[in-house]
Amino acid sequence: MEISPTIFIIPTGIGCEIGGFAGDALPTAKLLSSASGCLITHPNVMNGGNLSEKDQNIFYVEGFSLDRFAKGEIGLKRVKEQKIGIIFDSGIENEILVRHLQVADACVSTLGINVHSYVVTKKPISIVIDPDSSKMSSGIIENPDILIDAGKCLIKKGVTAIAIVTKFPDDSDSPETSIYREGKGVDPISGVEAVISHLISKFLKVPCAHAPALSPIDLNENLDPRAAAEEIGYTFLPSVLIGLSNAPDIVELPAQHELISLHPDQIESIVVPHGALGGEAVLAGMEKGLNIISVKNQNLLNVTNEFYDYPNLFEVSNYLEAAGIILAIKKGITLNSIKRPLNKIQKCSHSN
Amino acid sequence: MKLSSVDLNLDWPVSIKLKNLREFIIANLEKKGDVIRWSIVDIQNSIDSFGTKKLKIKVVLAN
Repeated sequence: MEISPTIFIIPTGIGCEIGGFAGDALPTAKLLSSASGCLITHPNVMNGGNLSEKDQNIFYVEGFSLDRFAKGEIGLKRVKEQKIGIIFDSGIENEILVRHLQVADACVSTLGINVHSYVVTKKPISIVIDPDSSKMSSGIIENPDILIDAGKCLIKKGVTAIAIVTKFPDDSDSPETSIYREGKGVDPISGVEAVISHLISKFLKVPCAHAPALSPIDLNENLDPRAAAEEIGYTFLPSVLIGLSNAPDIVELPAQHELISLHPDQIESIVVPHGALGGEAVLAGMEKGLNIISVKNQNLLNVTNEFYDYPNLFEVSNYLEAAGIILAIKKGITLNSIKRPLNKIQKCSHSN
Repeated sequence: MKLSSVDLNLDWPVSIKLKNLREFIIANLEKKGDVIRWSIVDIQNSIDSFGTKKLKIKVVLAN
């Protein structure tokens, strides 16, 4: 089958109009997957709390590993299933922990996902959210070693992919959370979520994704549809388990004996929101001369091609247009042939 | 290991081409710790005559 492998990025925690909420870029991912025949994207795009979807043309790769893939450090290997282990933060209250364990059991019994085992961290990992809500979402955890040790414990038991569930401060009454639920702000916890999953990817090199454990929150009748997937049920774990269930294996390059389904040299394009050209994957793509498709998708950043002057960059108004460009690239149709006015071909002069 | 979230200002001199920008940034970040997550969050053209650009980088470091 003809494909044009494409990386699709919606950076976490920058308040994107599309993809800054609860899996609200998933329909876009399906569109770009159809156009390209092969899409590599990350949990922030695919995870909609209790809702998600599998697509055989989509590679689900955590952000840190996605950057490594773009840099050419790893390849991706398709698998039929992952053996998933779950790390639970010991800061999670017992009732919420039991809800999560029942969700995991449900994913085994109803979806046939291989959720193998779980571990509770020896101490709370302790989230610290950056309080400045005017900026992009960010923060840290106080006990990263505790998190990594728990992951090592699962890997020793034969687990091949890791879901992480951590306790977040109960801030359901905070202005940031209210604004986010009404579709106007930045997801206040997403920056720390990215740090947590990056730590597991960096130090354990397995597929992983994160779900926050939050106490149930009061009904909000002004809820934005884009945040609605996080209002279903008691946990955000199902989308993580669905995504990880057949996430590709990470293969360190150069690979000696491992079969690789997708090599980084096959990537042709990167789709990224306009103004968000400052990430590592995009810069690595520019080093390789890849097509960068910059899509109007309102967010907090203003890192644009004005500062780079990168020649292979296409600025488009929406993801429908991006899909058209990917299709043209896939079919080998030169884009100028579709635009008007159409210039005559150039005459070359002999130079000395 | 301890994590810290830092906003770092870095001058991007004209001598560093776009193709080398990522490695230039990482070399500077790695002086401060093991890099967990980073991105350029702002760029400004400098008012000097050398064409230097001012980068603002958000980074999470481990030490």
